[in-house]
Parts: sequence; structure tokens; C-alpha cells
Amino acid sequence: MDSSNDDALDIIITNVVATFRTRCHLNLRTIALEGINVIYKPEVGKVLMKLRKPKITASIWSSGKIICTGATSEDDAKRGARRLARCLQKLGFKVRFSAFKVVNVLAVCSMPFAIHLIDFTKKNRPIASYEPELHPAATYRIKSIKATIQVFSTGSITVTGPNVQTVATAVEQVYPLLFECKRPLCK
Amino acid sequence: MSRPGLSCPGCGSSNIVDDALYSQAQLVCVDCGSVVSEGVLADDPVGCLMTDIKTKVSASHVCILRVHSEIEDLSNTYYNQAYQHESFIKVSLQKKEVLAGCCVLVSCRLLNWPITMGTISCLLDVDPMVVGVVYQEMVKVLHITAPIVNVTDVMEASSDVPEEFAEDSRALSKRAVALVELAADTWIVTGRKPIPIMMAAIYLAWQSLKPNKQRLKFSLDKFCQLAKVNKLRPAMKRITEMKEVLCKLGKEIPWVRVEVTLENVILQVGDILNNRYALLRRAMRTHEDALLAECQTRYEAGELSPNWGKRVLFAPPCVVHAKKRRVEQPGLKDVTGDEEISDSEIDSYIRSPREAREFALTQKILSESEKS
Repeated sequence: MDSSNDDALDIIITNVVATFRTRCHLNLRTIALEGINVIYKPEVGKVLMKLRKPKITASIWSSGKIICTGATSEDDAKRGARRLARCLQKLGFKVRFSAFKVVNVLAVCSMPFAIHLIDFTKKNRPIASYEPELHPAATYRIKSIKATIQVFSTGSITVTGPNVQTVATAVEQVYPLLFECKRPLCK
Repeated sequence: MSRPGLSCPGCGSSNIVDDALYSQAQLVCVDCGSVVSEGVLADDPVGCLMTDIKTKVSASHVCILRVHSEIEDLSNTYYNQAYQHESFIKVSLQKKEVLAGCCVLVSCRLLNWPITMGTISCLLDVDPMVVGVVYQEMVKVLHITAPIVNVTDVMEASSDVPEEFAEDSRALSKRAVALVELAADTWIVTGRKPIPIMMAAIYLAWQSLKPNKQRLKFSLDKFCQLAKVNKLRPAMKRITEMKEVLCKLGKEIPWVRVEVTLENVILQVGDILNNRYALLRRAMRTHEDALLAECQTRYEAGELSPNWGKRVLFAPPCVVHAKKRRVEQPGLKDVTGDEEISDSEIDSYIRSPREAREFALTQKILSESEKS
């Protein structure tokens, strides 16, 4: 997706986290026995199942709640989730694919300029916070759309939000603020 | 121990003793057992922790934290507020000490006396990340907006150089501050931890104030030993980065005939810092001219480096030495999420009954061999 500025900004979605429910109890031991691509973690009470295509890792709990991570788009996440549900169906469980929801989207974006973080934080207090001793990036939280942006001095930013549209909106909102702080060098 | 002068409201007896129930001080009548009065949990710990911090502060050799009475009062107020808050009332004693340190930190920042988290973590002898977590939570809980700490301010506030260095501390701190300002202008400071930068600046400033053979050969390790501080590995990288910047500027000095390299740049540091803005402008202009000429030839050859960091004179070091990104696999464009899923595909994820039996058997054998 491109931003609404003249130069196209590549927003690369690196991770989509989604959850869904199977509406039935799942026997984790059976899944661990009959599934090829599973890792059983009895101490935590869940099974990790990995799919090849799309590349997704799912955490499966015996209550029937499943969290899928690793997809690169919302549709891919849904595709992977449905494959997973089908797989569990074949294993013999009475699965009904329901309550699918994308919970978190992580994207990265690279600005073609460096950003002076102290200027950026000073201009955007208290929405922005920067503690160089703890983390090299400044954090900018947009409460209205529930998005968090981490701004690095190299111009790269990472955006997390509840869905892809929020992420795009967040980048559009923050771009002018970043552009202001691409400080030229000489005094 | 008994408390004279008090009488129990229940039975009138004067036999009242101090008793502590779950670390809460209480005055109890021995005869009838009624509680005459209870101490408030908050009183003593606050008092003794704050004095503890103050004694640690006054006993510190590494850093002079001359805490003004205003800062003390403000930090006391914040501590009292935070202590009563639900997020902090049930935490461990260590965390409460860290909380006291964070209150001192935030008061210092608000009253323009910047100190680093590293200082607080050093004084309290805890991991700086723990200090960070408590600090962020406290700031959120008390709704404080503290100003950002600039490395140059911290340097000015905490210049304390022992006599072994045989150097005028004012000249040293002035030069170190100038170095840090130059580093800030050339993208070395932004996003990095401040303490290694300060360490590198002081080391280079010390070397350059009297650049004789002895000082130039004196390694950072020995320097830190002399100053009784722990050497930090990033400080070495900062020294190299600062020297590279100084070299770039050193090349622009008109009266220097010799080529400026990383080895002999220390001799020029004084001149570079005194004229740094003029040199920066010259360096930028020279670079622009060189770039224009290069672009012309490159354009004709048909190639242009995609890394914008290589094209500008000063850029954040991780842009200049960018890590090679893994080539993205071309994603499927027509995914809708609702496609048909073939049986064969799902079957590849499931063991056949025979495979499952064999798997169960193997697991059993393995676990038995482990037990024996």
C-alpha cells in the first residue's frame, strides 16, 4: 500500500496475528501424535503447529482457541487459519471455524532520510517518548486508532496496530511530523 | 519494649508495649490485648529509604550528585504519591528502592539537573533495564512529562575528573562537550546510549589536549582503570566513529599539508573543534561537488546506489553500513482467504494410522531407554 504522498512509501507488512475458535474441545495428545508438523508443550498446555504454505505458526489450546502468527497479509492469515481448521477436522475433531479476528499487524517502513529523535520528541510531547538509555527508538502512540510507531534515527519506522488500515493511517499521520525533523546539517 | 505515659482505653492499664504484626508497628495493651494505636505502613519505609538513597549518594565517588534541597523535596513528594498508588504498594522492597531512585531522577530532570539512568542504576546496584521499567511505569502513573535529557547537558553536569589525569578539568570538559556536540551534529549520538559516547568524548578530549606519545599510546582500557569505571564496549566503536568524522573535517583544514588519517587526527582535534562549523560547511560543499561529478559519470554508466546513506557525507552509521535485507519472496497476489482447500494438501500434514502407531511405539521405547 502506498501513502498519499508524492513519493511512494513502501509499507511492508511483516507479521499478522489472528485468532479464531473451533467451538469444540481439542485433545492435544491426539494432535501431537497424528500431526507431523507439531510441537507439544505440555508444561504450558498448548500445541504449536506450523504450516508450510502460507508460512504460519499456530498455538492451539485445548479449549479450542487458536492464535495464528507469521502471515504477511490479512487474507493470508485467514487462508492459513482455514487450512488449520481443515487439518484439525481431518484429525477427527468437530471443528467449526468461527470468530476469526485479526488482532495485531506489524509493518515496517523506511524513510529516505535520517530523523533527529530529540527534535521529534520535543515537538510531539507527550505523545512521543524517547529514552536513549533504554531503547534506541522514539515511541509515538496514537491513542485514537490504537497504533504504536517506533521511530529510529536511521529513518526506519515500525508500526503496530489492530489492522492493516490502521497501520496505513498511522504512517500517513506520522509522515509529516517525521519530515519536519529531517534536520539539515549545517548551522 | 514498653511505652510509658500511655494508658489503654479498654482497661485503663499502663502496661503498653510495642508489637509488630506483619511488619506493621502497633501499640498493644498486655493486660487486655486491645490495640491502642497502629503505625501507618508508609511512614517508616519512606523515611529510611530516602535517607538510604541520600547516604549512598553522598558516599558516591564516581559521580557528584549534589542534590539541591528543591530536588529532594520534589522527589519526596513524588515518592509519597507513587508509594500510595496501587501499582507500587505491593511491590518488593528492591523495587521500592528503585522507585525512590526514579523519583530522584525525574525531579532532577524537571529541575534542570540532568543525570542519567546509568548513574541511578550504578548507585542502587541494579540492572538499568529494571530502572527503566519502573521509571516508565511511575511516569505513566503520576502523569509526569519530564524533559528529554541531552547528552551535552549531562556532560556539563557531571564532569568530574580525578587528578591522575593531570589535566585542567574545565578545559577537558569544555573540549569533551564540543566533541559531543560535533558527534550530535553528525548522527553519532541519536539513538545511542549516552554513557559510551561520554566516555569516548572524554578519552579523545584528554588525548588531544596534550597529544604526546605517552597519551596517544594510552589505551581506553587503562584510561577506564585509572578513572575507576567499567569499560564499555560500545565506547570503542564511538571512538572510531568520532575519529572518522574528525578525519573528514580535518581534510578541509587549509593549512594542513599532510594527509589526515585516523592515527594523526588527534593532533588536529583542537583546530577542528574551534572551527567546526566552518569546516562542516566546507566539507558539505566539497562533498556536493564530488557527488555532482560522480552522478554525471554514473548516470552515463547507468547505475545509482540504492543506499541513500552512501550518498550523503554524514549519515547514521547503520544506514551507511546497511545490513543486506533478505530478498522478499514474491507473495501470492490473488489470495482471498476463502479458497478451496484440497484434501491432499491437508493429508500431507497428518500421519497415517500406521505411521501414528509407529511414532507412538518409538516414543515409548525412547522414554523407556531414557529411564533406564
